[in-house]
Amino acid sequence: MTTRSATAAAPVSGTPRAANPSLSSLAAASGQIVRTGFAPAHAPDAVDQLAQALHPVADLDLVVLFVSPEADVAQVIASATERFGPAQVVGCTTAGEIGATGYTDGEIIAIGLPRSHFASRILRIEDLSAYDPQAMIDAMIQNRTEMTRTHSEWAGEFALLMVDGLSMREDTLTADLAPGLGPVPLFGGSAGDGTDFASTHVLFDGNARQNAAVVVQVRSSCGIRVFNTDHLRPTQQRMVVTGANPAQRQVHEINAEPAAREYARLLGKDPEQLTSFTFAAHPVVVRIGGKHHVRAIRKVADNGDLMFFSAIDEGVVLTLAQSQDMVGHLSTALSDLTRQQTPDIILTCDCVLRRIEAQQKQLSPQISALLASHRAVGFCTYGEQVNSMHVNQTLTGVAIYPPTELTTTTAEEKAWSRA
Amino acid sequence: MVQGLIDPRDTLERQNEKLLKIAATLMRRVEQDTDSSGLAYAQFERAALLEEEVRNRTRDLERTLDLLNLSNAKLAEANRETEAARANLTNAIEAVQEGFALFNAQDVLVMCNSRFGMHMPDLRDQLQPGLRFDAYVTLVSQNPALALPPGTTAADWALRRMTRHQDRSVMFNVRLHGDLWMQISEHRTPDGGTVILQTDVTDIMRLQHQERERLLDDQARLIRATLEHLNQGVCIFDTQRRLLGWNRLLGDLLAIPVGRFRLGSRFETILIRLREDFDFAGNITANEVETWAKQDGHRPALTFDIQNPAGRVLTVFMQDMPDGGFVISFTDVTQERQSARAMSEAKETLEQRVLERTLELEDALAEAERANASKSRFVAAASHDLLQPLSAAKLFVSALDGELPTGAPRDTLQKAANALDSVETLLEALLDISRLDSGRAQVHLAPVDLNHLLQQLMEEMRPMAESKGLRLRLRPTDHAVLSDITYLRRILQNLLSNALRHTQTGGVLVGARATRNGLRLEIWDTGSGIAEADQTRIFGEFQRLNATASAADGMGLGLAIVDRACALLGHPLSLRSRLGRGTVFAVDLPRAGNPQPSPPPRHAERSGEPLSKLIVLLVEADTDLREALSLTMEQWGMDVLACANPAEAQSLIDEIGLPPDVMVADIPPTECPATARAMAALQDKHAPLPLCLISAGRGPQTQAVARQLNVPLLAKPLNPEHLRRFLVAQSPRAIP
Repeated sequence: MTTRSATAAAPVSGTPRAANPSLSSLAAASGQIVRTGFAPAHAPDAVDQLAQALHPVADLDLVVLFVSPEADVAQVIASATERFGPAQVVGCTTAGEIGATGYTDGEIIAIGLPRSHFASRILRIEDLSAYDPQAMIDAMIQNRTEMTRTHSEWAGEFALLMVDGLSMREDTLTADLAPGLGPVPLFGGSAGDGTDFASTHVLFDGNARQNAAVVVQVRSSCGIRVFNTDHLRPTQQRMVVTGANPAQRQVHEINAEPAAREYARLLGKDPEQLTSFTFAAHPVVVRIGGKHHVRAIRKVADNGDLMFFSAIDEGVVLTLAQSQDMVGHLSTALSDLTRQQTPDIILTCDCVLRRIEAQQKQLSPQISALLASHRAVGFCTYGEQVNSMHVNQTLTGVAIYPPTELTTTTAEEKAWSRA
Repeated sequence: MVQGLIDPRDTLERQNEKLLKIAATLMRRVEQDTDSSGLAYAQFERAALLEEEVRNRTRDLERTLDLLNLSNAKLAEANRETEAARANLTNAIEAVQEGFALFNAQDVLVMCNSRFGMHMPDLRDQLQPGLRFDAYVTLVSQNPALALPPGTTAADWALRRMTRHQDRSVMFNVRLHGDLWMQISEHRTPDGGTVILQTDVTDIMRLQHQERERLLDDQARLIRATLEHLNQGVCIFDTQRRLLGWNRLLGDLLAIPVGRFRLGSRFETILIRLREDFDFAGNITANEVETWAKQDGHRPALTFDIQNPAGRVLTVFMQDMPDGGFVISFTDVTQERQSARAMSEAKETLEQRVLERTLELEDALAEAERANASKSRFVAAASHDLLQPLSAAKLFVSALDGELPTGAPRDTLQKAANALDSVETLLEALLDISRLDSGRAQVHLAPVDLNHLLQQLMEEMRPMAESKGLRLRLRPTDHAVLSDITYLRRILQNLLSNALRHTQTGGVLVGARATRNGLRLEIWDTGSGIAEADQTRIFGEFQRLNATASAADGMGLGLAIVDRACALLGHPLSLRSRLGRGTVFAVDLPRAGNPQPSPPPRHAERSGEPLSKLIVLLVEADTDLREALSLTMEQWGMDVLACANPAEAQSLIDEIGLPPDVMVADIPPTECPATARAMAALQDKHAPLPLCLISAGRGPQTQAVARQLNVPLLAKPLNPEHLRRFLVAQSPRAIP
C-alpha cells in the first residue's frame, strides 16, 4: 500500500497561530472554526438551509459550494452569491459529495470560512482555452502579497483549485499556475457530472461556467496541511502507448495493438466488457522519478480507443497497478493527519474512481464512516490537482487545524532564524 | 517486465512488427520528438519530475524574498529613521535661538536654520545648501545691513573674515546698522566641517554700554569727591590745554571766584591771572611755565613756588597725564615757609650767642690759666724764697744747739728746730703741689724695684709707727713696676704717713698683689675709717678730717699730692673704707717685668739714671757724627775718647797711658777689612777690650767681618738705645 501525503505544507510551516486571543476564544466558543452546511440538491430553500447552517453568514469571508449536478446549479450559485454576500461564493459541480455522513449524492455541501480565521482572494479563469498564463501568475502573486501584508501574522496558506473536469486542460492549467503559487500548496479537484461525463461546471461570480476554473488563495491563522494519497501499487506489467491523440487524452494503440483490446488482453479480460469498475480496479500508472502517478482511464471509445482522465502521449510507458486495502489505507492516511493534532476540518477531493471502487468492493459504508469521523467533507472529482500536477484516482485535500498557542514563531522570525 | 508487451498468440512476424513499433515509439518519446499536441503530458511529466525540486527552489526563493523583504523593511525603517533624524535635526536647529549653519569640509553650506543671517533678511534666499563659504562671506560683506568699521571696505572685511575662518575656533562680534550686534562663533567639526553660530547680542552690548556709562558716571563722581577732598587746589587740562576739572579749593587759593572756572577755560587764561596776582619764586618764569604746558610729548614734572603780595606762598606741581593732558596742584605752604624762616632765624641767633659765649669762656679760661700760672709761680717763688731764709734759720738753730746748756732753753730751741722742720716740710709739699699743678712736672717712667722702695719707706716710717705703738708690716713683693720713682716714693710716703697718722691702735699693712694688668699696691690701716661722703673731699687741699689732729700731723696736703701725682703718672687710685674698721688705699701700677737682669727699659735713657762710668774709645771718621755720639755717650755719663781712625786711637791710648773700657768703631764699607783688622789688633793688644762695630754697610762682607771678630755689629742710622744696651752690658754693675 502506498500512502502519499503532500508535504508541500508541512505542519511546521503551517503551524496554526491565533491572530488574537479574542478571536481564538470566539472560535473555541463556537466549537468549530470552519462552518459546514448540507442541503438536498432539489430543495427549493437549499440555499437558505445552507445559510442557516453557516450562520452567521455576515462574518464569512468565503463560501465554497460543492453542488450535485442534480441541482439547478445556475440558480443555486446565483442565490447563494446573493445570500452570502459580501462573502465570495465559489464552487463546482460534483461526481458525488462527501457530506456529514461520508459519501452522499444529490446534496449541496457548503463550507464557510469565517473572516476571523481566513482571508481569501479569487482568481478566475473564465476560458481555459484562452487565458494569459503570465497575467494569471501576476494576479496570484499580487493576491498573495496583499494577504501577506493584510494578515502578516497569519502563517497558514493554501490554494484551492476548481476546474472544469471535462476541459482536458487541467495538466496545462496546473503547470501554468505553478509559478504563481510560490511555496503555497495547492490542491483541487476537477468538477464532475455524476457518472454522466456530460457537463461540468465551475461556479463563481454568481454564475456556473464551463471550460472555466477558479483558484481560491487562502490565508489563515489555522494550521494547514495539504495532502495527496492513493492506495495503489504498481505491478510488473508494462505497456507502451504506441498511438495516441494527446489533445483528446485518447490512446489508439498500446503495444502496437488497439488500446482497449491490448489493455483487456493484459488484464485477461474481454475487451467488450471493460467498464468503469474495471478501470477503477485496474488503473495504469506512469513511473516518474521513483514515483507513480495514476493515469486513470475514463472509458472505452466506440472505436476501441481508451479515453483518459489525464494527459497522455505516445511513447508513455504505462504500468498496471493493483489496488490495496482501501479502508486500511484511508484509515492510516486520516490517522496520519490527526496524529499531531485533530483537524478542525478536512476538505477532500476524492476521485470518482475510488468511490466506484469502494462501491464495487462494498466498502462505501466503512469509507464513509471514516470520512465522517474525521469531519472530512468535499466532493468526488474527475481528477485531482496537487501543486503543479494533475493526477487521478487519489484522495487529495487539506487538513485545517485550530490555531494553537504553542508556537510563537512568525514567518518573519523564521526568516531570520534561517538567515 | 516486458513479457506482457507481446501477445504470445501472435505470429513472430506480428510480434516483431509490434515490438518494432513499440521501440520506435519509445525512441521518439525518449528523443522528445513529439509534436505540440503532446504538450500537456510533457507538462505533467515535467511537473511530476521536477515538482520536488521546483518546490524546494521555490521555498528557497521564498525565503530569499522574505529576507529581501525584511531587508527592504529595515532599509525602509532606516530611511524613515534617517528622515526622522534629519527632521529632528532640522527642528532642533530651528528651535535654537541662535542662527545656525553647517558647512562641510569643502566649505559648502549643508544646512542652516531660518535665524541664520539674522538682520539680513535680503540674504535669506541665497542661503541655500550648496552655497560656498567664500561666496557667503562676500554676500555678507556687501550687505547694506553690515556696519563696516571706519576705513574698511567690504573687500577688506571679507578678506579679514576669510582669514579668521582659517582659525580653528573663531569668536567675534559684528556690528550692524541700527545699533544691532551679532556674535559670530565658528567651530570646527571633527570631519573638518564648520559650524557657525550667530547670536544676537544687541541687548547685551547695549547693557554693557549702559553699564560702562554708569560706571563712568560713578567714577566721575568719585573723582569729583576725591578732588574736593584734597587739601590742594587742583585743576586738570586736556591735550588742548582746556580745563577739564577743578576743585573749590583752587578758587580759594588763587583768589579766583569758582564761578569763573568754566569747563574748557584755557590754561593761558588762568596763567594770566597767576601772573597778575603772584610772583614766580625761584628760577622759573611764567613764560617757562607756558612753554611747558604747550610742549608735546613727555614733560618732566614741574615744581615751583609762587607768592602773592599778601605773603601767601603756593607750591605749584605740574605733571603729565597719561592721555597727554596735565594736572596742576596748588598747595598753600605759607605756614610751612614762615615756620622754616622762623627756624632759620632762631638758628642764626643761637649760633651767634654760642659764639659769643665761647669767646667769653675762652677769655675766662685764659684768665684762669693765667691766674693759676701766676699762683704756681708765686707759690714756687715764694717757696723757694722762703726756703733760703728757712735753711739759714735752721743753720742758726743747729749752731745754737751746741752752745746752749741742757735745760729749758735747750728744749725751747729743740721745739723751734721742730717748728722749722715742719715749715720746711710744709713748704716742700707746697712746692710739690705747685709743680704738679703747673703741669711742668717732669715724669720719668722706668722700672722700679717696688720691694726695695717699700723697704726704704718702711725704715723711714718705722719710728713714727713705733712712737704711736702701731705695727707696721710689709708683705714683700718681687715685682718691678713701671713708674717714676720720685713721685711713686712721694705717693707711698704720703699714703703711709696718712695711714699711720689716722690710726690710733692696731697697725698698717702694706702689700702688693698681682692684677690682670699689673700690680695693685694696697695700704691697709685699722683707723677710724672715712665716711662715704668724705671720701672725695679728703683729696682736696688742706682737708683734714680730724680737726683735732695737731698741725704737726700735717697740713692736709698729703692726699692732695697723692691724688695729683697718681693722675700725673696714670696710676688709678682707689679707696675702700669702713667706719671704725679701717681704710684701704690702693694704687694700680703697670708691671715692668723683671728689673734685675733685664736690659734697660725703653725710656731708660731719659730716666736720668747714670750708667757706670766707662771710658769709651770712639772711632768715627765723620766729624759731625763723632761729636754727636760723643755728646750722647757723655750725657750717659761716659768718658769718651773720640778719634777719627784706628791709628789716631792707638796714639791717643798711648798718650793717655790708660786703656779704655770699651771700644766703639765705625767701619766704612770701603775700608771695611782694613779698619776691622786694625780694630782687632787694638782689641788684642789691650785684651780683654769689648768692641762694638758700627757700619752703614749691610753687605755680607761687613757681617762676615763682624762674625769673624765675634763682635756685635750696629747698623746705621744708629739707634742710640742699641748702643746704650751694649754699654750697659759692658758695665761691671747692673743698673738699679
